[in-house]
Amino acid sequence: MTTLRAFTCDDLFKFNNIQAFLNFLSQYGIPFYLQYLAHWPEYFIVAEAPGGELMGYIMGKAEGSVAREEWHGHVTALSVAPEFRRLGLAAKLMEMLEEISERKGGFFVDLFVRVSNQVAVNMYKQLGYSVYRTVIEYYSASNGEPDEDAYDMRKALSRDTERKSIIPIPHPVRPEDIE
Amino acid sequence: MAIQQADKLLKKHKDLHCAKVLKAIGLQRTGKQDEAFSLAQEVATLEPTDDNSLQALTILYREMHRPELVTKLYEAAVKKVPLSEEYHSHLFMAYARVGEYKKMQQAGMALYKTVPKNPYYFWSVMSLVMQAISAQDEKLAQTMFLPLAERMVEKMVKEEKIEAEAEVQLYFMILERLGKYVEALDMVRGPLGEKLTSELQSRENKCMMMYQRLQLWPECNALSYKLLLKNPDEWQFYLSYFDSLFHLMDKSWSPPNEEEHCVEGPVHTTVAEAVKFVVDRMEEEDKKDSRPLRGPYMACLELIHRLRQRGCPDEEELGDPLELMLQFFGKFGDKPCCITDLKIYLHLLPPEQHTQFENRLGELVPLGEVGEDGFGFPGDTKALQRHLCVCQLSRVLGLQHTLDTEGKLCLITELKAHYHYGLQFGKSCLKTELQFSDTYCLMVAHVYIDLWTETGDENMLWQCLGVLEEGLSYSPSNAQFKLLLLLLFCRLGAFQPVVDLYSSLDAKHVQHDTIGYLLTRYAGSLGQFAAASQSYNFSLRFFHSNQKDTSEYIIQAYKYGAFEKIPEFIAFRTRLNQSLHFAQVRTERMLLDLYTEADITSSLEESVKAMGLCPEEDDIPWDNMRDNRDLTVLFSWDPKDRELTEEHRRLSLEEESVWLKVRSLTLRLLASLALLGHAPSKRNSDKTNENGVSAKSSTLQTLLSQLDLTLQTAAQITEKQTQYPFLGPPSSRLASALSSGSCHCQASALQLSLTLQELETTGLGKMSDLLSRCKGDVLEMKDSRLMTQPSLLETLVFFVETVCVVLWVASYSASVLRPLKSSLQKKKKKKTKDSSTAMVHTHYRLILPLSHGSYFPPLALHLCLSLPSLSQEECGFTRAAMDKVQTSYLGSLQELGDLLRKRADSLKSLKF
Repeated sequence: MTTLRAFTCDDLFKFNNIQAFLNFLSQYGIPFYLQYLAHWPEYFIVAEAPGGELMGYIMGKAEGSVAREEWHGHVTALSVAPEFRRLGLAAKLMEMLEEISERKGGFFVDLFVRVSNQVAVNMYKQLGYSVYRTVIEYYSASNGEPDEDAYDMRKALSRDTERKSIIPIPHPVRPEDIE
Repeated sequence: MAIQQADKLLKKHKDLHCAKVLKAIGLQRTGKQDEAFSLAQEVATLEPTDDNSLQALTILYREMHRPELVTKLYEAAVKKVPLSEEYHSHLFMAYARVGEYKKMQQAGMALYKTVPKNPYYFWSVMSLVMQAISAQDEKLAQTMFLPLAERMVEKMVKEEKIEAEAEVQLYFMILERLGKYVEALDMVRGPLGEKLTSELQSRENKCMMMYQRLQLWPECNALSYKLLLKNPDEWQFYLSYFDSLFHLMDKSWSPPNEEEHCVEGPVHTTVAEAVKFVVDRMEEEDKKDSRPLRGPYMACLELIHRLRQRGCPDEEELGDPLELMLQFFGKFGDKPCCITDLKIYLHLLPPEQHTQFENRLGELVPLGEVGEDGFGFPGDTKALQRHLCVCQLSRVLGLQHTLDTEGKLCLITELKAHYHYGLQFGKSCLKTELQFSDTYCLMVAHVYIDLWTETGDENMLWQCLGVLEEGLSYSPSNAQFKLLLLLLFCRLGAFQPVVDLYSSLDAKHVQHDTIGYLLTRYAGSLGQFAAASQSYNFSLRFFHSNQKDTSEYIIQAYKYGAFEKIPEFIAFRTRLNQSLHFAQVRTERMLLDLYTEADITSSLEESVKAMGLCPEEDDIPWDNMRDNRDLTVLFSWDPKDRELTEEHRRLSLEEESVWLKVRSLTLRLLASLALLGHAPSKRNSDKTNENGVSAKSSTLQTLLSQLDLTLQTAAQITEKQTQYPFLGPPSSRLASALSSGSCHCQASALQLSLTLQELETTGLGKMSDLLSRCKGDVLEMKDSRLMTQPSLLETLVFFVETVCVVLWVASYSASVLRPLKSSLQKKKKKKTKDSSTAMVHTHYRLILPLSHGSYFPPLALHLCLSLPSLSQEECGFTRAAMDKVQTSYLGSLQELGDLLRKRADSLKSLKF
């Protein structure tokens, strides 16, 4: 039981309860949020509880070349407040992002996740995503932790009838080689 | 290096504009702003039209924070190259950066005429909308800007030139702002509405909004019903469904015919239908194999709540709230949000049912066998979560609060046992994850705080700190532990541990505004000046970057056609600029700099000038202040009567605003005091307003009376002695500032400076007039005739008397200040520091002009005045009379001279 609506700047003032992020990207700067709001407002959705608390949000974009069949939706951030976990909210938000990407004629949806974040990897697998490739040292070091690899996970959309976009690449790639 | 390269290039190509600008960028970045600016202007006046120079200049002006110069640049470029799409578009964006909406409208149109692309046309339309939004006069917006924008779009619609979704969105925005809801609705439902595809349910949401505005309750109800059938978890549509239902009932609305109720389908008009609808939704969920949705069950409680509000007896058909809540707990008790959900409807239970409710809930929690300590523990995390939820509910119902001290201590033992037991479930948790049993720990802390505030037993506070520190050791990223520790340390007056706690919270961007108050309220006031300065800087850096960041994305929003985001970004920027916290840190930062540095590393006057402080200027938006503080950032499960209320929020804002006013007036008064600094030396040369002395003293006067008024308001506020909930906002410093007497002492000291200012300009200033009137010869031979001027003597006596009075006052002031000065030297920590230094200052200002001796040398001249030799012709008697007069004059002058000399001596002893 949730109100799903477009994210607005005023929501930034209510952000304090959303702390731990599923994909461990910590909070971004204001320019980052504004950039997404200016460019892909439809891809920025917030879930609100009946009491007005922010439950979580998803932020994404559409990118890639249509000609090369790489036009796709990308999940930039997905976050659910600890208090509102285990309600299927992340799945709901992902479903919405996929639906928007379908309408835009995307071939697939993709996302990056830390290889160590088994909880998230499993959740995405349950939602129909598979590992497309490994990106070496995608997450740069912080707080004394070493650089970490990411999985690039994908799910084919209906436009990709042969599901070509998700055939895994066996060799890991470097961050500079991805688009 | 870059500068050298640019210089090399310039040697070869003397007039290469771009190289000059690049050099200017180099100069700017090496701190040579003035050189950079003049070099840039050299190029700019030539009105360059090459892309490189233009772009380089744009970068430079942006770095100089002079975006308005970019507009001049492209205005010139467009004139010279009128067909350039690029330059026109740059000009539009340059105007956008400085918010010149009218010029944007024209630039957009000029662009469209050059290159007829739809987006350009709609940039121009959007600029009209922005003129409407920013217009001071709402009438102008409604009768000129918006209708014009509407006509511009209509023209495109008629010519069937509408291409993009963004254009339809903009059309909708215009109609909505014009209040043309019917037209907006028609548009959304019509062919243009088909373009609204990006956002999910975009058309439905817009229709719903219009139905509500137009109070088309049948349509609103039917659409909500339809959407709920599709998604029975969408809370907002339950609300619109119930709202519309009751509106329809109030109007006794009935459908026009049996076939179709309205364009959106069937309409519900009776409680019975609503009850059936909600019950059906719950049954659907019950039947499902997959995870049930909370929506229908919550909707059931919401409907009971609304029926009860209306005094409608039909609520019974939905069931007993107690049973329904137990049912809800049965289904969702293992979810952490169960408490958040049920909390909203606990008022449906009568108080006498509370204990029964708690007991019945307890029966639904599977706990293991009771051990030696008398407690049974949950076997897995789901059972743990259920048990936790019961504890939370019991606290929200006030059942924990009614326990006596003994009972609370027992509760603590039980919660602690559960906490420690539950830690085993989270052994494999990452450092960034929370422990499943963390909430027990937090609740233990809350009960300790209850005990501390009720009994005043400080041991409870130490225990509380201990349990939170322990919790943090198992769950190092638990923000709630950190926040509560932070609050407790601050209340204890110990700021040092707070610095690390806050920095480990890793507060970012808007959080500096929403929770920064936790830090800045205490840092300075607890004497941790370095930490205070740092925390002000964190906040200020964020606020200052806001301006730049937002303009950049306003421009992007134009580029991508996200028109509805443009007013939103501007409102966001405004909300931050008008933030209470921003005004507070701005003011406190400057005050702190003055307190810690002025007259130590540099003079007060230099400090004030370096800050660019102008006493006449008030940059705080008093009437539009935004309280962006998140006052519920700390979790609380306190019952309703102990929770933070809207009234608390209002009072806290009021109190903080008045305190801010006191501080900002103090700052401005200090600034005007500093700028009075050199008044005396200018006094003789210029008595007019030219040097601003009298203007300044009137500022001082105005500010002082404002301060006086503010302190009166402050006294009224502190009389109320508002107590906020413990986990709510901290009280401002106002009450202690007033009761310590520091406010009034500072005000009197500043008042003194005004009096002194008057003394200098009108009092002592008149003294030199008086003195100059003493100049002259008492006896004089003119045209062989002896002339007397006895009035000179009388004036001189007035002068001497006045000198005496001023000196006595100076002596009094010295006697008041001398002990202050010595105490200041002895006890540097003493609070009166500010006021006593201010008074010592003013004392100097009082006696300095006198001790300069500026009044005495001319007097001495007068005393040595030689009498004219008398003419021989005078006869004996006359001559004798003249001698008498002369002798008498000499006698008077002698006495006056002696007295003045003695006074001059006593003046020396006055210095300290």
